Amino acid sequence: MTQNTKSMHPAAVMYAAEEKAGKLSRREFMARATSLGLTATAAYGLLGIAAPAKADGHAQQGGTLRMQMEVRALKDPRTYDWTQIAYYTNGWLEYLVEYNNDGSFAPMLLESWEVNDDATQYTLNVRPGVKWNDGSDFTAEDVARNIEGWCDKNVEGNSMAGRFAVLIDEATGKAVEGSIEVVDATTVKLNLPASDISLIAGMADYPAAITPADFDPENMVGNPVGTGPYKPESLEVGVKGVLVRNEDHDWWGYAAGKGAYLDRVEFIDYGTDPSAWVAAAAADEVDMFYETVGDFVDVVESIGWERSEIASAATIVIRPNQLAEVDGVMPYADKRVRQAIAMAVDNAVCLELGYANRGEPARNQHVGPMHPAWADVPGLPYDPAKALELLTEAGMADFEMEITSIDDDWRKNTTDAVAAQLRDAGFNVKRTIIPGSTFWNDWTKYPFSSTNWNHRPLDTQILGLAYRSGEAWNEAGFANAEFDALLAEANAIADADARREVMAKLQTIMSDEGVTIQPYWRSLYRHAKPGLVGWDMHIAYLPQVYKMAFAA
Amino acid sequence: MGLFILRRLGVMILTALCLTFIVFWLTNLGPNLEKLAKTQGNARMSDEAVVSWLENRGYSQPLPVKYGQWLGVLPGYVIEGTDRETRARCATPGQPIEEASSFCGILQGDWGFSTVFKDEVSSIVATRLGLTGKLMLAVMLVMVPGALIIGVLAGMREGSRTDRSLSTVSIITTATPEYVSGVILIAALATKAFIEWDTIPFKGTATAAMDDANFENFFLPVITIALYGMGYIARMTRASMTEVMTAQYIRTARLKGVSFPKIVLKHALRNALIAPFTVIMLQFPWLLNGVVIVETLFNYKGFGWVLVQAAGNNDIELLLGVSIVSVFVVLITQLISDIGYVFLNPRIRIS
Repeated sequence: MTQNTKSMHPAAVMYAAEEKAGKLSRREFMARATSLGLTATAAYGLLGIAAPAKADGHAQQGGTLRMQMEVRALKDPRTYDWTQIAYYTNGWLEYLVEYNNDGSFAPMLLESWEVNDDATQYTLNVRPGVKWNDGSDFTAEDVARNIEGWCDKNVEGNSMAGRFAVLIDEATGKAVEGSIEVVDATTVKLNLPASDISLIAGMADYPAAITPADFDPENMVGNPVGTGPYKPESLEVGVKGVLVRNEDHDWWGYAAGKGAYLDRVEFIDYGTDPSAWVAAAAADEVDMFYETVGDFVDVVESIGWERSEIASAATIVIRPNQLAEVDGVMPYADKRVRQAIAMAVDNAVCLELGYANRGEPARNQHVGPMHPAWADVPGLPYDPAKALELLTEAGMADFEMEITSIDDDWRKNTTDAVAAQLRDAGFNVKRTIIPGSTFWNDWTKYPFSSTNWNHRPLDTQILGLAYRSGEAWNEAGFANAEFDALLAEANAIADADARREVMAKLQTIMSDEGVTIQPYWRSLYRHAKPGLVGWDMHIAYLPQVYKMAFAA
Repeated sequence: MGLFILRRLGVMILTALCLTFIVFWLTNLGPNLEKLAKTQGNARMSDEAVVSWLENRGYSQPLPVKYGQWLGVLPGYVIEGTDRETRARCATPGQPIEEASSFCGILQGDWGFSTVFKDEVSSIVATRLGLTGKLMLAVMLVMVPGALIIGVLAGMREGSRTDRSLSTVSIITTATPEYVSGVILIAALATKAFIEWDTIPFKGTATAAMDDANFENFFLPVITIALYGMGYIARMTRASMTEVMTAQYIRTARLKGVSFPKIVLKHALRNALIAPFTVIMLQFPWLLNGVVIVETLFNYKGFGWVLVQAAGNNDIELLLGVSIVSVFVVLITQLISDIGYVFLNPRIRIS
């Protein structure tokens, strides 16, 4: 990678000092330094060590990989709600930036980027020499057009609008006039009306796939224009999706030594029942899983498959909705009721019963040690007796809480563990289990239910998505002016240490308000048969198919 | 005979119309449309977005209008959406609006477009029906001869030891639902749970059988369905066989000194097969929709699986397509069994 490090962000040097002083973990350092525009190599250089060698040397060119994965219908990338969709389209629709397991951001279609000191101006340098597979050049215009598209709130279900909210003009629902500026053929400048440190992370997320001009989401397989090394051969939703190497296309990554070793990738759908996946593995019909969950980690290892494990910020929340009305009252609008719920539940028990101890207990704050600016704020104490007292004081001792969950393995078990502990504490609880096909219809509206959340690289991201007042994904119905103001403040501080002070306040509000039960951080697992390289489970489920290969 | 078939065809079309209207009405209820919008748009979409999504795609039109468009008696919608994009019902993906025809319904031979699978309903139904057909054929080849042999052997000497043991077996297989027998068969024959195999003889998944069916990957699903149906048909055959074996003309034949095998094969069998014939014909509709469990268990993506996916995702046009096919399969097998009677029993005259 040839990135200009002359204009190195001053904070990066500071971070390196912090890392050396032991104030910062290496992963945190990588996440922060690379999101400020350093390459991973340069960031490692600041630490005085060489970047870790990649497994490329052992990869074999060619071969067909068969991967167990739900094969879902394609749609406009901005509206992706499943990372599985991105796995398939990643064959030809690539990303500007790539987020990696060590917490770093690596340039892909961008060659480099710079962020100014207060994170109000981003300079994006487009990688030269990248071509669309229809032969035309990939330019700054393409980048600008995609970012404009991400900022279009009028597209139903566009989740990129949340990630780029800072650029959106509330009145028009589109990008603020003049905020996206094409400087020349390889440079785009983003002029933010307010500070935001999370845009690079947003560009690396799975719905941020870069689409061509005249992109037609209804006909993605029929007309697969993109920049990537593969093209779709067939797609049968729910059955099978096949990617093959695009022989007519000179992918930029070949010259950059990026890989794309496999000639053919088959995603085969074995439904949602992991026992069917294991049957497929035993019958040698697949080489690799998308993700292994729960007890199946042990089961699949018993047939000789290898494990890839990553500790992530993926989690589950079991939250009361403060706006929900049950029989004419809003039971969870009362802070005491929410605190009572939080105090009656021991998070370690949830981890043990719900996820077989495959993770770390959390503190109901939805910010954790894997985030750069996490503050060590204690959660509410586990005290069931006090919890019942609070509940009685609020006059809700007789109220029957209905806790809803999806019908699957770990999410159901964790919710059961919460319900059981609430019952033990003397609460009146009813459990409802809804099949996966209908659960998501009203997921933000259930009075009290569980939802799984994926990993986000930065500490403020999930708070902005799920807890800011009025956000579409604010399933807790949480609206707190002080919280919103602090969050805006945190979003303007690129320096994680300075931000940590604000984060401590935010995390305290999360705890004290009893916003949600967020019992543990999950470790993610993936298994594959021996003899594969570059298939590691990704911390944020991001598709990096080009890295996978058979070992030479 | 011709009039009879015509009348049956009329009934068939009428039934299909009624059934599809009911399915159409149910799938177009408000909550179901909302669910459709969320599965198609974004699972985490806001209420305003749901409304505009539905309006832009013609789902907010009155029910009779939508049904008429699906039938092909009313012109398909052309709607300029709130996102300034024009959508037409009859335009296939990638086709300009101007080139789309104005009518596209069942009457024009257009079965519509599946929202889940993003493909033509007709091609999905054809592919999946073909796969279930393959499974059904294999099941029939195992089940029918097996059941008839067991039934005849058991029924020719009522009360004998053969009869008692075969009857017990057939009652057990019929009484064991597929989701029990399937799991037991997988555990016993496709894993090392009970026996330490050197190589496991069968595969516990039939996904590969969709492209390339062989003994290894197709045996377990076939035998799971066949065992269940076999017991039932065998019981019917046995009952009908014992009845025939006590008939006057059989006694006469025996008194005349005709050998036992000859009595069974030449005199009893044909009459004894009338009742099982109906039962076998009734197995077709059962197989078509009753394979849902086995297809799910062995992850074999046939017609039953499509039905589940279409219903689970409120895929309106696919569900309608499935309903039509189901109606026709049920009524056509009935028709065939009625006609078949005439050949098996010359005393019966149709109409």
